[in-house]
Amino acid sequence: MTRRQPKHRPKLGGMAVSLLNELLNGTVDQGYLKAAERRAAGTPAPHRRRRQAGIAVGLVLVGLLFGVAFRQTRARAPESERAKLALIHDIEQRTRTSDELERRVGDLAAQVARERDAALAASSEGNREVAALRAAERRDGLAPVRGPGVLVTVGDAQPRQQTDPVSGQPLILPPDENGRISDRDLQAVVNGLWAAGGEAISVDGRRLTPTSTIREAGNAILVDFFPVTSPYQVEVIGHPDLLLPRFVDSRVGQQFQTYVGAYQIEFDVRRADVITLSAATGTDLKYAFSLPVPTPTPASGASGTAAPTPTAPTGRPPAVSTPGMPSPGGTR
Amino acid sequence: MIPAVALIAGVVLGLVLEPQVPVWLQPYLPIAVVAALDAVFGGIRARLDGLFDAKVFVVSFTSNVLVAALIVFLGDHLGVGAQLSTGVVVVLGIRIFGNAAAIRRHLFRA
Repeated sequence: MTRRQPKHRPKLGGMAVSLLNELLNGTVDQGYLKAAERRAAGTPAPHRRRRQAGIAVGLVLVGLLFGVAFRQTRARAPESERAKLALIHDIEQRTRTSDELERRVGDLAAQVARERDAALAASSEGNREVAALRAAERRDGLAPVRGPGVLVTVGDAQPRQQTDPVSGQPLILPPDENGRISDRDLQAVVNGLWAAGGEAISVDGRRLTPTSTIREAGNAILVDFFPVTSPYQVEVIGHPDLLLPRFVDSRVGQQFQTYVGAYQIEFDVRRADVITLSAATGTDLKYAFSLPVPTPTPASGASGTAAPTPTAPTGRPPAVSTPGMPSPGGTR
Repeated sequence: MIPAVALIAGVVLGLVLEPQVPVWLQPYLPIAVVAALDAVFGGIRARLDGLFDAKVFVVSFTSNVLVAALIVFLGDHLGVGAQLSTGVVVVLGIRIFGNAAAIRRHLFRA
């Protein structure tokens, strides 16, 4: 084995040996060669046990260095990376909280509905009211529904592939701006489906109510302020045999079929035997009117509303008005 | 066998004990690791060449690490720290490659 070494070794004083050559070939540490020479010269080698202890100590040190360096590098991960991870963690946590709260809202709403039904079930009039309420809830998306219907898939155009004229590499271009589904397109589809006789609609799993919105913020489409992504799955409950041909033949349906040819958007309409739509969440009552009471009341104009009596302004606490002065009516 | 066990024990110790590295020493840790790698590969190669010597190994490891760190330290104070680090890494990298190639020749005869 050792006979191979001198070949690589630069000769003492051999100036011809270039620095690079030495670097590339003289990789055996001179110390090992010297030690080998000493051994060959007859100097007694140290005890086997001591040698092994030396190796062990050395390697423990090496390992220690590796371990510490690993820890250190991990600890000094770039600040931006750590901030990003923390943000992602935050987002996930908030999303979980939000989902949980949404589920609780659903549970509580169901409980309220049960209590209400139980209270109303006592009388025949109440029963009629319950039936009317149920129908209204189904129409307004406040109750989960299930039935046959149609599944409409609308999606952005796929990215275009093209060969780069300079390098000949395949190039992926973002899809044509015309091939992007905008909020108005999605609105048109949904409205077309309502017009074609859809009874209940959800977009990407979000049930639509009469006050639902489909809007765009940046390049994201928001359904009731929840982001949805392409391809958009629009599920409609309705009579498939009527709904499907009516929608496909409608102006919107025709338009989208043209778009498929012109802009390569994704557009697919198919029947579905069973569609289950969950109840809309996050709906709250914005206005509550008390219905005009049918019984005639002898009181003056402001009946049925909770308008304050005309004496209200004088009931103001005296602390805000100057003592002895009449409080100014409309200055605030 | 003993060397492998010792190496693993060292890594585990480093990971478990989490010794606090002083801030002023932290910039030299990566270069020290490269120097240690050089010493380890040199040792393995010498072992395969039948030249291995425990004392040489320990001394070369220690001095490699210290000298590499010292060069970078000096460079830092002279304003050429980055360049000197690159130089050290290049030289040690070439040595590691050379030793790895020798080890490969020993193990695979290729």
